[in-house]
This record gives sequence, C-alpha cells and structure tokens, in this order.
Amino acid sequence: MAAEASPAVEASAVVRPSVGLPRLLAAFVRLGTVTFGGGLQSWIHREIVDRLGWVDEDTFLSGMTVARVVPGANGVNVALYVGFKLRGAVGAAAAVLGMIVPAFCVILCLGYLYRRFGHLAEVHFVLAGLAAAGVGATLTMGIKVGRRLPRDFATSLTAAAVFALVGVLRLPMIPVVLGLIPISVGLALLQERRPRHGS
Amino acid sequence: MGRSLLALLLVFSPLSILSIGGGQATIPEMQHQAVVVHGWLSNSQFADLFALSRAAPGPSSLIAALIGWQVFGFWGAVAATLGIFLPSSLLMYAVGAWWHRRADSPIRRALERGLAPIAVGLVFAGAVTVLRAADAGALALATAAAVCLVQSTTRISTHATVGAVASVYLLLFYIR
Repeated sequence: MAAEASPAVEASAVVRPSVGLPRLLAAFVRLGTVTFGGGLQSWIHREIVDRLGWVDEDTFLSGMTVARVVPGANGVNVALYVGFKLRGAVGAAAAVLGMIVPAFCVILCLGYLYRRFGHLAEVHFVLAGLAAAGVGATLTMGIKVGRRLPRDFATSLTAAAVFALVGVLRLPMIPVVLGLIPISVGLALLQERRPRHGS
Repeated sequence: MGRSLLALLLVFSPLSILSIGGGQATIPEMQHQAVVVHGWLSNSQFADLFALSRAAPGPSSLIAALIGWQVFGFWGAVAATLGIFLPSSLLMYAVGAWWHRRADSPIRRALERGLAPIAVGLVFAGAVTVLRAADAGALALATAAAVCLVQSTTRISTHATVGAVASVYLLLFYIR
C-alpha cells in the first residue's frame, strides 16, 4: 500500500491543512454556483481533493460512499462531510449553506426569467455541453478513485457488477445497492479478520 | 399562509429522508405529490420546472424551491428548500460524525472497504446514465473525453473548465 502512495496522500497523511471558515465557505459557494449537470460530487472532488488538497483521496472516497448511502442530494451530503472534516459542525453548516443558498437565488432568478422570456435555443445547447463536461468530470473522478481500490477479485467483481447492473442493464439503483452492500461488506469483514501483513 | 407552508414542509421532509441514492430518486414521487395529490401544478408545468432545475447550477433537488415558489412565493420556496435539505442533512451529519469517530475500528474499515467498489461502480454507471438520458451524440462524447483528459493531465480549475466548454458550445451554436 505504502509503495503506491501518491504525493497527495503523503502530504495529508498526518497534518491536515488548516482551512479558514471564509475560504471553506468561498470554495463551496463557487462550487454551488458554477457546477451544472448533476455531477456535483465530481466537481467537489476536483476542487477540494485535486486542486486544493484539503482532503485526501481515501477520506473523500469513504465520505462519498457514506454520502451516497445516506438519503439526500449526494453533492450536498459530500459537501457536509468535507466541511465537517475540515471545521467540525460549523464547517458542515458553512459547506451546506454555501452549496445551497447562492444556487437557490440563481434558480429563482432563472425561474423568473423563464416565465418572462421562455426558453432560448442557445441556452439549451450550452447546457447540453455542460452536462457532457459533467460526465467528463465524473470519469476523471471514477478513474482516480478506482485506481485506489484494493486489487482483489471480490472488489473488482463488485465494482463491475454495480456498473453492469445499474449502468448497462438499468436496474433500479436502490435494490441493487441494498442487495450488494451486505455481500461486499461481509467479504471485507472476512478479509479484515484474516491476519495479513503489509496493510 | 401558515397552512400552505406547513403543507410544503410535510410533502418535502419525508421525500428528503426517502431520497436514498440522491435527489433524482424522489422526482417521480415529487411529481405525484405536487401534481396528483395537491394539485399545485399541471404535469407540463412540472416538466418545465424539472428542465429548469437541471439547467440551474447547484443540486438538482432545488426543483423543490421552484415548486414552493409556484405554490406560495418566496416563503414557499424557502419552506420547500428547508423541507428537502434539512432532514437528510441532519441524518448525514449524525452518520458522518459517527463515521469520523470510528476512524480506527475494524467495522468501519470493513464498511469502507466493502462500500468503496460499490461507489466506484455507481460513479461509472452515473456517467453512462447521464450520457444516455441526453441521447448524447459524438459531440457530447468528445466533450466528456476532452474534459476527462484535460483534468487528468492539468490542474485546470472548475471555473475555467465550465467557462471553456460553455464558450465552445456557444460558438458552435452560431457557426452551425
């Protein structure tokens, strides 16, 4: 494990950068207002992990996993977790409000403009482009976090199965995830019990 | 006034707790409640608000704000937004704090290890789902690939990425 540690992991192994509340709030306000197309958590990963290095990959991945299992908008839950990690309860509140309040104002303005002027073809076209960019950000994040998975058969098979069932066969996500969690976590528990050197 | 606001809270709070897997999971039920049960909107109004919420930045669950606004103006929007985000955020806070405290327990390590491949599978499944929903053509695929490539090789910011993609598409729209 240590052999393949990336620079980002080494840097954040013990000491977390101390991030002031204003900077934390600013980062999430920015994310809440410039990200489109549903891939919010990918953009959060990009800013917070890749660019600012406030949280390391493993912390982010585990937080994101929890955020997806807990009800609620995934992006907001991830923001809450990151804010909590960095500044405790106040940080969590700042991250969530930063994500929601400015976006709330923007959406009400858009609602008003929409009622006044209806839809513009350009806007539709540009939004389709931003949705595609969101897919690009999602792929970037998927590749980065995917690389950090343990390289064993059960883990690879689980990831492939989730992708195939939800992405390709389009089965509803909740039953698939609820069905696979006990199996995957059970296997992981067995692996944790088994004494292994190195990790 | 009070009753309308209360009705909004009562519709959106349970949806907040039920939105396992993200906000989009509750869209069908939200439509049922707003259109059929309460008659706040027509089906086509709901479809318009849905498109708007996809077009706006930030979390797509903010469609709740638009519905609330339609029902009871600004305070309706506030009540609906609180209803859709507050319960799930409190729950996430409780779970996140528990998760944080258990940093070194074997149970948490097993949960982490077991949940990680599921999360990764969902990330890629999500990418495919979005592309399919948008019946994406070559241009969308090329955009996604370009963004992925540039982000993987440079430290380009989110602003610059979003700005560049928007400019290119605007340009393409006019020269088409």
